[in-house]
Amino acid sequence: MNIEFIIDGKLIRAHKGQSILKAALLNGIDIPHLCYHEKLSATGACRLCIVKVNGMYKASCTEPVAEGIDVVTYDEELSMMRKELLEMLLAEGDHNCLYCHSNGNCELQNYCYQYNVEPPAKDLPKNIREVDLTSSQGIKRDENKCILCGRCVKACAEIQVNFVWDFAGRGSHAHLTSDMYEKIGDSSCIQCGTCVQLCPTGALSFQTVLGRGMNWELKKESSICIYCGVGCKIDFYTNKEGKLVKAMGNDEGPNKGHLCVKGRFGFDFVQSNKRLTTPLIKKNGKFEKATWDEALDLVASKFGEIKEKSSPDALMAFASAKCTNEENYLMQKFMRSVIGTNNIDHCARL
Amino acid sequence: MNKEIISKAINKYGREREHLMNILRELESLSEDNYLDVETLSELAEQMNIPKSAVAGFVDFYTMFKTTPRAKYVIRICKSTSCHIMGARTIFEEIESILDIKPGEATRDGIFYLETCQCLGVCSVAPAMMINYDIHGNLTPERLKKIIDDYRKKEPVDGEACGPEVEGKKCIIEGTPQTKRLLENVGVVNPLEIDTYVAKGGFDALKKALGMDRGDIIDIIKDSGLRGRGGAGFPAGMKWSFVTKGDMQKYVICNADEGEPGTFKDRILMEENPQALVEGMAICGYAIDASIGYIYIRGEFRRSIIRLQKAIDQARAKGYLGKNIFGSSFSFDIFIKEGGGAYVCGEETSLINSMEGKRGYPRFKPPFPGVTGFMGKPSNVNNVETLMSVPMIIEKGADWYKSVGLAGCTGTKLYCLSGKMNRTGLVELPMGATLREIIDIHGGGMKCGSKFKFAQVGGSAGGMLGEDLMDIPLDIDNPMKHGVTLGSGVVLVADQNTCPVDFLLQILSFFEHESCGQCVPCRVGTSHLHAMVKKFAERKASISDIDLMIKKAELMKKTSLCALGQSPVMPIVTILKYFRSDFEKHCDPSHRCPECESSLTTYYIF
Ligand SMILES: Cc1cc2nc3c(=O)[nH]c(=O)nc-3n(C[C@H](O)[C@H](O)[C@H](O)COP(=O)(O)O)c2cc1C
Ligand code: SF4
Repeated sequence: MNIEFIIDGKLIRAHKGQSILKAALLNGIDIPHLCYHEKLSATGACRLCIVKVNGMYKASCTEPVAEGIDVVTYDEELSMMRKELLEMLLAEGDHNCLYCHSNGNCELQNYCYQYNVEPPAKDLPKNIREVDLTSSQGIKRDENKCILCGRCVKACAEIQVNFVWDFAGRGSHAHLTSDMYEKIGDSSCIQCGTCVQLCPTGALSFQTVLGRGMNWELKKESSICIYCGVGCKIDFYTNKEGKLVKAMGNDEGPNKGHLCVKGRFGFDFVQSNKRLTTPLIKKNGKFEKATWDEALDLVASKFGEIKEKSSPDALMAFASAKCTNEENYLMQKFMRSVIGTNNIDHCARL
Repeated sequence: MNKEIISKAINKYGREREHLMNILRELESLSEDNYLDVETLSELAEQMNIPKSAVAGFVDFYTMFKTTPRAKYVIRICKSTSCHIMGARTIFEEIESILDIKPGEATRDGIFYLETCQCLGVCSVAPAMMINYDIHGNLTPERLKKIIDDYRKKEPVDGEACGPEVEGKKCIIEGTPQTKRLLENVGVVNPLEIDTYVAKGGFDALKKALGMDRGDIIDIIKDSGLRGRGGAGFPAGMKWSFVTKGDMQKYVICNADEGEPGTFKDRILMEENPQALVEGMAICGYAIDASIGYIYIRGEFRRSIIRLQKAIDQARAKGYLGKNIFGSSFSFDIFIKEGGGAYVCGEETSLINSMEGKRGYPRFKPPFPGVTGFMGKPSNVNNVETLMSVPMIIEKGADWYKSVGLAGCTGTKLYCLSGKMNRTGLVELPMGATLREIIDIHGGGMKCGSKFKFAQVGGSAGGMLGEDLMDIPLDIDNPMKHGVTLGSGVVLVADQNTCPVDFLLQILSFFEHESCGQCVPCRVGTSHLHAMVKKFAERKASISDIDLMIKKAELMKKTSLCALGQSPVMPIVTILKYFRSDFEKHCDPSHRCPECESSLTTYYIF
């Protein structure tokens, strides 16, 4: 904290090299921004975070802090400028919140509301961009809601390191491409969904969500992913009927908000009606419902039988990667001291 | 395209992403129909180990490339302001009737494909066009017919032999009182023979510099008052002194992207005296302790590229480049990197991204290139004219250099004359020549039957000068006091036949076409401005649209990431200063304007 300067009359301390925006956010001062995301390198594309630095206009996401500067983040003129920029974004795309699954969870919508933006003039030019709602099982793309902030491009490149997205075209004809101008479902996308999670509008969205609940109806519950040993923290969202509709990476887990395709989409089994609710025991070639006591008694007696008849080494245990360390410990303890074998293994892969 | 051809091209230039442009250019020229199919691009991405999306985005950024078939010959007709004023529309109409195609179409026999393009850098011989890489100027309907006939019959000629009227020395105005310093060697030195340059004292300055202290060289450049000639006018010596010091690799980058409509000075310098650029870059390299120099040059400038490459090769053979130059401990070499058709790549950070094999998106500053440039290393970017002024300053001293020009703006300036004057071409005058002197003396006055209406100085990003500003010194500082700019030194003169609405339409169509699309105000703003002025041309606008246009351009000036988006406000405000009433007249649906109508039917048909 070796640099001191002023934001809106308040003395702020920041590290050398930090951007004004970052320093402001850390101090509870909100400057509007759309292309900036704390997980990604700065872009400087949306220009919404423009502030006055000693009276000069600077994008605060890319402008480094400097000793003694005087920053104004909000005044009538800046507010007018932001409003005009937001109007440009609305005019460029095709935004109708009524039909958008991001309604109520959209950064663009929030700012438009906050800055009193009115509907754009009808005769302004628009370029129709790609709408692809079906090619991928996980991700939908409606680029007419895209503001070309580049978060998806950077999310794929800097977080997932998969480089599926990039910009194509130029100027007002700029748009996204996945791989070699392919549909997202035909591309090398592995559907981690990081781009969707970071998209500030409804341009990228999850197949699982649409029609299953308005954003303000969803309830959030944090949990740990049951798949592999990383133990990613996930925010699960349920709708009014209590059904799970989406999984978002939680920033506090070891995953820092990132998920893989299984953590992201592999939750449908939870509420599947094919899911077992009691143990089943096969009698006369057919599975029949049983109680836990009946099932455990049966397994214990069969284990005993095998151990007696063949040897302890005729048995082995193989633990799932979904098990915790503690469960794995218990498993090997049971096999070694109760059964009497060292035949244990674990599928540390999934 | 088969895998072997692709890997051969990769092996020729190198596997690193920075060679992407050259490799793609080679592959496109090898394809019969001048295009790059997506299978080839995917295979290339695989072999070079770069993401497919990066190759796709790259190809889509540069206008030279196309992913659908064109034809054996791609005809690109310039519609930028100079050509527009000098009759580009007639050329369009003529070619459409000769070939029976519209822009974006190929002739049925697959020989010709027609495109519009932006400034080709031969504005003194406007209107002009480029067929593959051959540029032809002074087009008239008759000449056009003959050129097309020739192409039907023969194989294409190489860059050296083609379009003699556009060769550098033919584009210089002779016989008027000039102060020739940069142009002194033109016609004296053979651009293809380094010995002729050496005989005129070439490389003496480099030798002298190598015996000097690095800091002293920078001090001389500072003292000379040399300011950047690329448009922004930043003091060159100061820029050199800002380059980070230390053991790391550093680069000298010469900005030879010359894309500002109306500008053709750098091309002439490179065509006629490429050796002086090599020398200037080497001196700069020594001063900032860089061992590698790059020249980023427009891909359209075939003749310049050939001659520069020859000058570099010959300099290397003679020991003026390479290891331990003149027996000193200084080693320096120069490489050429080509552009792919994007005006914005003249912006120094966009240029660096382009050199790295990326889309030409400008980077935010800071960090400046002098700290984080090419490949993240300190790089000094200067314009061709700036770097070519260096050897003479070292040789003859700062005082000599300062002896002409104005106090804050020393030396000579190359002014690029185009438009409705009797003589058009390049002149070298002391900094601060006036518009009156340029038109009357060097341009030989207005063409017969032409009456001066306005001049656009500084290129499409520059402002309009009317009679009232005829006598201001056109240096770097004075025009700014009047809301205009010298920019790259363009003087484009329009006469009574030019409709200001139609003229502004061409300017804003240029900006929309050339915006990189990265930041919101410029991407959306250029498209809106273009649409708005088109409304005037179509006589569908209302008077309140005039102020809306200014408001939008002012927002762009305040908020755009780079200077491209900050530019349109100047031509808009200055043209309205003189011709607001023309815009008001165009609000009347019954108003007839043949100029606007003709533009709308020739350029906006698709
Ligand atoms: C859109 C745009 C286009 C530019 N084109 C050129 C160009 O073609 N040639 C050039 O030398 N500078 C160009 N510049 C200016 C460069 O960014 C840079 O200022 C210049 O190369 C620095 O060299 P100098 O200091 O010697 O003038 C352009 C700037 C912008 C914003
Ligand atoms: S101002 Fe225009 S050219 Fe410059 S970065 Fe923004 S969009 Fe690109």
